[in-house]
Amino acid sequence: MATTGASDGASAAKKEGLVTLMSGDGEIFEVEAAAVAALSVTIRHAIEEGFGDRPIPLPIVGARALALAVEYCRKHHSLGGGAGEDSAAYDDELRAFDHNLAKVDRDTLFDLIEAANYLEIEGLLNLMCRTVAEMMKGKSVEELRRTFDVSNDYTPEEEEEVRREVSWALD
Amino acid sequence: MSFRSIVRDVRDGIGSLSRRGFEVRVAAHRRGKSQGHVHEIRDQSSVIQNSCWASLPPELLRDVIRRLEASESTWPSRKNVVACAAVCRSWRETCKELVKNPELSGKITFPVSLKQPGPRDAPIQCFIKRDKSTLTYHLYLCLSPAVLVENGKFLLSAKRNRRTTCTEYIITMDADNISRSSSTYIGKLRSNFLGTKFVIYDTQPPYNAAGLSHPGKTSRRFHSKKVSPRCPSSSYVVSQVAYELNVLGTRGPRRMHCIMHSIPASALDAGGTVPSCQPDSDGLFSRSILDESFNSVSFSKSSVDFGSARFSDITAAGAGAGADDGDEEGKARPLVLRNKAPRWHEQLQCWCLNFRGRVTVASVKNFQLIAATQPSAGAPTPSQPAPPPEHDKIILQFGKVAKDMFTMDYRYPLSAFQAFAICLSSFDTKLACE
Repeated sequence: MATTGASDGASAAKKEGLVTLMSGDGEIFEVEAAAVAALSVTIRHAIEEGFGDRPIPLPIVGARALALAVEYCRKHHSLGGGAGEDSAAYDDELRAFDHNLAKVDRDTLFDLIEAANYLEIEGLLNLMCRTVAEMMKGKSVEELRRTFDVSNDYTPEEEEEVRREVSWALD
Repeated sequence: MSFRSIVRDVRDGIGSLSRRGFEVRVAAHRRGKSQGHVHEIRDQSSVIQNSCWASLPPELLRDVIRRLEASESTWPSRKNVVACAAVCRSWRETCKELVKNPELSGKITFPVSLKQPGPRDAPIQCFIKRDKSTLTYHLYLCLSPAVLVENGKFLLSAKRNRRTTCTEYIITMDADNISRSSSTYIGKLRSNFLGTKFVIYDTQPPYNAAGLSHPGKTSRRFHSKKVSPRCPSSSYVVSQVAYELNVLGTRGPRRMHCIMHSIPASALDAGGTVPSCQPDSDGLFSRSILDESFNSVSFSKSSVDFGSARFSDITAAGAGAGADDGDEEGKARPLVLRNKAPRWHEQLQCWCLNFRGRVTVASVKNFQLIAATQPSAGAPTPSQPAPPPEHDKIILQFGKVAKDMFTMDYRYPLSAFQAFAICLSSFDTKLACE
């Protein structure tokens, strides 16, 4: 997958143009600074604030999501120059890449949304939010609760009103 | 880093939100049932804390639901937004916040939209199907522009009940079970014996009933502690419709006159609004469910007076009821609607109104309602010489397109419920008018 740097990378001498990221679960990633800084506002700010020679701590981003997010940044940076989906640079290859990335399982999807939000990678956040919105379509209330593992937290009175609304919507 | 602290704040926010929800639930259960439930809830709430999707930061949930709302803008796929709002409290809160009321969006999403004013610009186009064998009427939102295509989203239904002294139309949100005892019952229309005068009742209080909470105004009547606990059949008079024999005899067009007690005349002024004491537009649940104290018996009792024979005095009475204190007369004056007078077409030898293709069959039932600006409903002050253009617009248009098919197009400040009820009055037999 992404550049998985040596785990002793924290103290390792920096190579030119690389930046070290530390996931919330303590994994170290050495990645091209230009690619991630172009796509991630958070990392760009961190580098600007002088984190360039130290690992940048990303407390709520897990290693798996971080690897995917870095992969996203690298791909979009090299192919599209980090431009958005409206630009001409957003070609079939990038589209296919995004399409595949969106096929991750539910939990990874959730981690990726949080990661994209924390890292402020706009394109990735858009992609993931759109994917979740698509998953919400055409499902019954029970299916939605199951799919997203969300519990019904209504009082019986509220539940009754909610049920009425839904049955009206389906009429 | 500041961002981190924001995230922490957000998370803490979620924690306290769900804690609040938890307390509410426990309280509700204590009121109702056994202690055993409390433990179940405790377990449930720990599940909520563990599920990652339930703890999705609100701004991300909003982003996701905003996309869903934008892409599912028409029925039937709009039901996905309603389903989403039914999942849990936080999803509901987000959906209700993102879905704008019909006045702003021109869209009907939740049933609560049916009692909110329609859009200010283009009317919401609906059709009514009549079933003569069951005496039922079903209101649908038009999903295609053609008037004869029965492609619609069900909105409301009504059933005609003939009583000894009057005719009553029960109006519900349920397409099949149309009865007053149904939990989907939302109001009714009642006629006098002749079918010339009608009163529209709403199960929810109109805005001026909120005057209850302002001490000083009519406080003796309204501050009664007699509160019926969740009485589903409380009725508030929101409108009165009268049909008059026209001056040209029995065959000509009827004259209609609607007093909208729940809408102040100022709603049509520049910058005017329809005040609402129903928190539905921003609240999560309708007050009828959560705020029992609103079903005040004394208020509905006072409205019975309006149903009496003093109908011709009603304009004065309606204005008087809200304007006891004198100063705010202009604000309290109810909106009055009248039908646009048809003109006599010499060549066709008939009465004509321009329905712009939405009505295709001539019928005595067809009508167009506009705001009445007659002096009796309060003369405009000298500083307002001409009525604003808002007053010329057709607020409700109703007419026949086939044997049992009618179109109904309504606009601000009427709601779908009010418009439907007014149209139902046109179906009823009028001995004195025909």
